[in-house]
Amino acid sequence: MSEITLVIDGVECRASKGETILQVARKNNIYIPTLCWMEGLTPIGSCRMCVVEVAGNAKLLTACTTPAENNMQVSTKTEKLTNYRRQILELLFAGRNHFCMFCSQTGDCELQRLAIEHGMDNVRYPFLYETFHNDASDPNIQIDHNRCILCLRCIRVCAEKVGAHTLDLEKRGWGTNITADLGKKLGESDSCVSCGACAQVCPTGTITLRDFVYRGRRHDCDDQVESICPLCSLGCRIKAYVRTGSVVRVEGISGDSPDGGQLCHMGRWWLPKSTERERLSVPMIRSGSSFREASWEEAIALVAEKMKPALKDDRAGALVSELSTDEELTVISSFFRDTLEMKKMDGFYGNMLRGFVRGFKPFADQGVRPFTGAHNILKSDAIVVVEADPQEETPVAASYIRVSTVIERAKLINVSAGKNPFEGITDSDHRTTKKGMLSLLIALRKAVEGAEEDVSPEVKATAAILRNAKNPVVVIGSKLAEEDPRLVTEAVNLAVASKAFFEDGLGVVPMLRASNSLGALNTITGENDWVSDGQLDFLYVLSTGMVSEDKRSLEAMTRSRFVVVHTPFMVHPLVNMADVLLPAPAWFERSGHYCTLEGERRRMNLVTAPLGNIKGLSVIMKEIAGKLGVEMQKGSAAPCENVYEAKAPSDAARTVDSTLFAKEVR
Amino acid sequence: MIMAKPKIASVWLEACAGCHMSFLDIDERIVDLLGKVELTATPITDIKEFPEVEVGVIEGALGNEEELHLAKELRERCKILIAWGDCAVFGGINCMRNFMPAEQVLREGYVETVSTVNPEGVIPGKDLPALLPHAIPVDRAVKVDVYVPGCPPDADTIYYVFSEILEGRIPSVPTDIMRYD
Repeated sequence: MSEITLVIDGVECRASKGETILQVARKNNIYIPTLCWMEGLTPIGSCRMCVVEVAGNAKLLTACTTPAENNMQVSTKTEKLTNYRRQILELLFAGRNHFCMFCSQTGDCELQRLAIEHGMDNVRYPFLYETFHNDASDPNIQIDHNRCILCLRCIRVCAEKVGAHTLDLEKRGWGTNITADLGKKLGESDSCVSCGACAQVCPTGTITLRDFVYRGRRHDCDDQVESICPLCSLGCRIKAYVRTGSVVRVEGISGDSPDGGQLCHMGRWWLPKSTERERLSVPMIRSGSSFREASWEEAIALVAEKMKPALKDDRAGALVSELSTDEELTVISSFFRDTLEMKKMDGFYGNMLRGFVRGFKPFADQGVRPFTGAHNILKSDAIVVVEADPQEETPVAASYIRVSTVIERAKLINVSAGKNPFEGITDSDHRTTKKGMLSLLIALRKAVEGAEEDVSPEVKATAAILRNAKNPVVVIGSKLAEEDPRLVTEAVNLAVASKAFFEDGLGVVPMLRASNSLGALNTITGENDWVSDGQLDFLYVLSTGMVSEDKRSLEAMTRSRFVVVHTPFMVHPLVNMADVLLPAPAWFERSGHYCTLEGERRRMNLVTAPLGNIKGLSVIMKEIAGKLGVEMQKGSAAPCENVYEAKAPSDAARTVDSTLFAKEVR
Repeated sequence: MIMAKPKIASVWLEACAGCHMSFLDIDERIVDLLGKVELTATPITDIKEFPEVEVGVIEGALGNEEELHLAKELRERCKILIAWGDCAVFGGINCMRNFMPAEQVLREGYVETVSTVNPEGVIPGKDLPALLPHAIPVDRAVKVDVYVPGCPPDADTIYYVFSEILEGRIPSVPTDIMRYD
């Protein structure tokens, strides 16, 4: 890229060719007001707030869409520009219902902020008092078209980042409106994934989220804490707003990141809603059909008393949530595994994780990292989705797949026994049965490798797509791993055969579900599945209370004679299973690290101080150790980022005959 | 020679009186201010007729014939007219009725609301000033010299505006203290 020099407001600025005037100005800390522009979205220059004067050009140019040129003389703050900008704002205020005093977003509104910034103390144009409808059909998201300035940020984020393209424009001129699905109300839309990104980017009070309005303007909040969402393996970055001790709003952190600051329905609604759930604040001991409050001392003494004999007979186990932080998992594993030498440890997603680990093993043994960061889906030109439902498993990765397919024109191939999760946008769709999956994957791989015999035309077409693709990616669903590790191996084989090599590993994205799955692998995930049929005398359960427990785990609890449930929330049926309930801090009261699918170790931060009589996990473990009369050992588990080290696979990565190794690992 | 103190008249039209309340929030500075100006017709002094004044202040939008008349009358009798608060500047909360015809506003207000018991459907109005089609900001009817938006404007903003006028300047509200809510 060639370097150019231009002058903005008398400041000499260096820039690369291709950058817009706005980008150069921002880099040099020169402020140009913007309204429709948003970082990460395509600039459209529709609001005209960013107009600038360029010497030698009679027209005013929009800074967000005009490329900077060598020797350009740009002025951003002339009286003429200020007047024009104020006029634009007055016209916007006159057009629809922009009366701040009865708007939920007053004080948080970018339109209002700009108007005040430009000294707009009155509106010189007649107000139109036009009536547009207020779309309150969606349970979470409200669209009041009367407050809309048609900046199209919502449309762009929905299309370019979420990939849903639910929103677009209808009608013309004054009557132009945002609409969903070619004329439906938002609540009736089929394509909306309820992620709330549209509300996060809305500069006015048009698109609002019922859960957040009237609970505090952003700047009125006492604290804004950056953290991560622990609800799936991506670990999206969030900003939590705190007011009078409660989390009143959760937003994605926008900017230039691949996700564009989006969250999915889980991060956007489940996180803030969970703060209102009933909490467990003191230890409780079962007394008949209900519980009675107890002191920590008493509860821990009882736990140790029941644990001791069970440990001796190998009839004690621990079932730990993979949504726990690295630090928590390390404490758990150093206590149960290294100190007490307990063999029966597992996570709630144990079967699925074992499936992935075993399926990945032959590749890890070759020294290759068998997966890549999920954002690499955006760089891919051919995506194979194998028995996955990304919208369920890791919704933001589903956004990546949709964006890559619809906007970047990547080919999308579905391989599944059930329904096609991307119906309508797939280029080829292979349906099979559970039994037929292995042979289908093998057939696909062999076809990619060049086999000609006994190849169906559909498989041949898909193989051609993969052979021609530069950066193919294989997305492996969690169901595939639960089914059979050989299927995982074959899916990875398909990636290897297609030469899906990225800088950090093979072009495979496993739908790991839980946020700290990678951290769980070498700390709590067991060697085999004792949960499904074990009968224990003692079972310790650590739950984050955010994801409901599956049938397998709940049944294991019912079969156990004494169950300790350590959880922040009074979630049913989990608490019904307990003989002792220990209160734990909730996600917003904890801090620690997560090894995310993006290959980054991300930090979760304390948002509010823990309430109630809560003790830290290591303190509890130490006290139990004291009662048992053992000394806490230092943990031996390797840090999670060392489990699969990121490195570029060479072309030497080879496929594996899954039918051969399958017998020994199973 | 002792100069006569400048006279101020203010009027509370279609609004909630919040701006006048906010004016009282200038607290002890009011003593200082009263030493420099003479309050004539205001909602506080309860003088009905506007005399000739230097500064006229209107709080509220114009929603009916009487309010329109009062605004015009005050404009004629003052040198500097201040539109005080969001209602006077933009129309404010009164604009909520502008999204439907005036007749429907009366029907909804007096007959159709769920809590109303009015079996005959009587709409008062015979002896009352007629509603204008829209509740309008003051500057749609008469010329305004100073705009002070805010719901209500802060006491400091109000005091700033009066101080500037007493110094012989026509102020505009600085952006760092301007607000619309």
